[in-house]
Amino acid sequence: MAEVRGKAVERGLHLRERLSGPEASAERLGALLIAPTVILLVLIVGYPAFYNIYASFQYFVLTDPGTEHFIGLQNYTRVFSGVDSLSAWGRTILYTVISVAIQFVIGLVFALAMHQNYRGRGVVRAAVLVPWAVPTVVSALLWKTNFDPRIGFVNYLLGVAHLPGANTTWLNGVWTSWTVILVADAWKNTPFLALILLSGLQVIPDDLYEQAQIDGAGILRRFWYVTLPLLKPSIQVALIFRTLSAFLVFDVIYAITGGGPGNATNTVAFINWRAFLVDTDFGYGGAVSVVLTISALLIAVAYLRILRPST
Amino acid sequence: MFATQGLGSEGDATNKAVAAFEKANPDVKVNILNLSPTSNTAYQQLTQRFISGSSTPDVATADVIWPATFAKSGWIQPLNRFNPNISNFFPGQIQAGTYNNKLYGLPWFINAEGIYYRTDLTPTAPKTPEELTSMAKAAPGQNPAIKIGLAYEGAKYEGVVTSFLSFSGGFGGGLDLNHINSAQNVQALTYMRDAIYSNSISPQSVTSWQESDVQQAYLGGQAAFAMNWPYIYSLGEAAGSPLKGKVGWIPFPAGSNTPKAALGGDSLVINSKTTQASAAWRFVQFLSTDSIQIDRAVSAGDPPAVKSAYNSALFAQAPYYQQQKAVFDVATPRPVTPLYPRVSDVLQTQLNAALSNQVSPSSALSSAQTQIKSILSGGG
Repeated sequence: MAEVRGKAVERGLHLRERLSGPEASAERLGALLIAPTVILLVLIVGYPAFYNIYASFQYFVLTDPGTEHFIGLQNYTRVFSGVDSLSAWGRTILYTVISVAIQFVIGLVFALAMHQNYRGRGVVRAAVLVPWAVPTVVSALLWKTNFDPRIGFVNYLLGVAHLPGANTTWLNGVWTSWTVILVADAWKNTPFLALILLSGLQVIPDDLYEQAQIDGAGILRRFWYVTLPLLKPSIQVALIFRTLSAFLVFDVIYAITGGGPGNATNTVAFINWRAFLVDTDFGYGGAVSVVLTISALLIAVAYLRILRPST
Repeated sequence: MFATQGLGSEGDATNKAVAAFEKANPDVKVNILNLSPTSNTAYQQLTQRFISGSSTPDVATADVIWPATFAKSGWIQPLNRFNPNISNFFPGQIQAGTYNNKLYGLPWFINAEGIYYRTDLTPTAPKTPEELTSMAKAAPGQNPAIKIGLAYEGAKYEGVVTSFLSFSGGFGGGLDLNHINSAQNVQALTYMRDAIYSNSISPQSVTSWQESDVQQAYLGGQAAFAMNWPYIYSLGEAAGSPLKGKVGWIPFPAGSNTPKAALGGDSLVINSKTTQASAAWRFVQFLSTDSIQIDRAVSAGDPPAVKSAYNSALFAQAPYYQQQKAVFDVATPRPVTPLYPRVSDVLQTQLNAALSNQVSPSSALSSAQTQIKSILSGGG
């Protein structure tokens, strides 16, 4: 073992020696060091991505072997004109906006609460993070059970509190199904937003607040003119991450409603999954993923522009 | 490697059969790969292995609706070269395992979906759908433990298609892919929907129920009628069950029409890339011997696919198989087409949408008809 390590060190030294000659630049060393990563990325990301783009212009159904052929943009027309396609895009966008808004507001409140100095702060921070550590499918099934009309606690609590809705069969209606999905998703993902926002809060220097206070700024003005602007970079990161994963939502829906009732909770990513894994239609599935990927990139670029930190 | 579904008593029966096979064939070792108990998920688990070109599993359990798709894709091999004894199986299940005149799936056990009733509440089984409705309405008054008149699976998954097929017989309908939106089918779907909203014999939650939910409702003594598969029978008649001696099972009543019972059950298929074809066939054949089939029937409630297993040895241990045969006799396969997964996906969505009252039964079925036509004609 020691011998092997010794040899590796020797080889490393030799390498550095060769590159530290007068004509060798630090850039070349850099290129060499990132080469394995780049090659790996090209292999596991680049190849499938390009193959996927190629497939999206083909009729390519695995259960129909030997019939692959070029069909131009037909798969892409289906992305927008297929059964339920437009509604699925609408649902996806609406879901993204609503879920990210809810989670952002609650996440910010949590972050502010976790940032304050009080006894037991460590416990609160740990407790808030617990849902995030639970796998999505587990948390989704947990909430499906919680909303179950026979055995769930939600209807029981509504009944005890004499609130309306105690007899709701949640997964039977369009909006009630979405409610279950939104709650499950918020429970799982709000801690992630809170965590990122908290890290942003911690780097804001205290003296800024003190100065603002001396200048007579109240708590709301301090939040608006000090906290929010300085939190921008964290907000940017948090929103990009959450928006993209909400836009590509699949797991919660798969576990809770399976896209039902009917097609009421069918999203674009769900259509994508069905195209690939139920219909084994790699042409259509490929086209859906290409459009999804481009949309995701556009969303990310939009956030970077809108939330560009002011200098 | 043998990929199969089934936990609990079904899993035990499989383990026992495998042990017996290994004892009789010391040169073969069988590894069991457990697939998801949910049909749709198990299907994906299998197709992912086949798509990757894996030589294992050598033998797989296939739901009766899968062999056509697998065969068309070249994932499983025809079994005719092994000279299977085709006449000893139920013709409906052989038909479901046959694609392009070649047999790809050898029946393992047969299933059919019928209506369970309670002989203590309704000594005479209903003869028409309407009679069933009025009996289901009356049941809670007869026994306060009854909360549900009719339980069936209406969730958006394969089960809603089979329960629809089983209900459809009562109205003269069926799953003829060219006549999905027939007046008879609309009537059947309306019956299923009205059971929830106007007759109030089924809870709203049936729209998210699968077999296991229906099973709990019936075996827990809360449901007067329940649409389900034969495995419930042995559970209901088991020692300690509150329903012992009270279980009745019939095809969904059809009045003057011919009743239908959705054919289910599992067939055994052999991977076309297996390196162990002859051992795989020996194993498949072993699973369809009378004694192994009877063992499984008695311990796990999986009815034999082999006709010769319905003999005095079986009836002596489990007399209810005599009554079950009446349901198997009207077992009706779902459409045999390699495009079935896509057809079924459309049906699941539309049937579930109608049951959750988002669209009317007739528009759900016309929409299904349009989409199915386009799938079958090779379009979107």
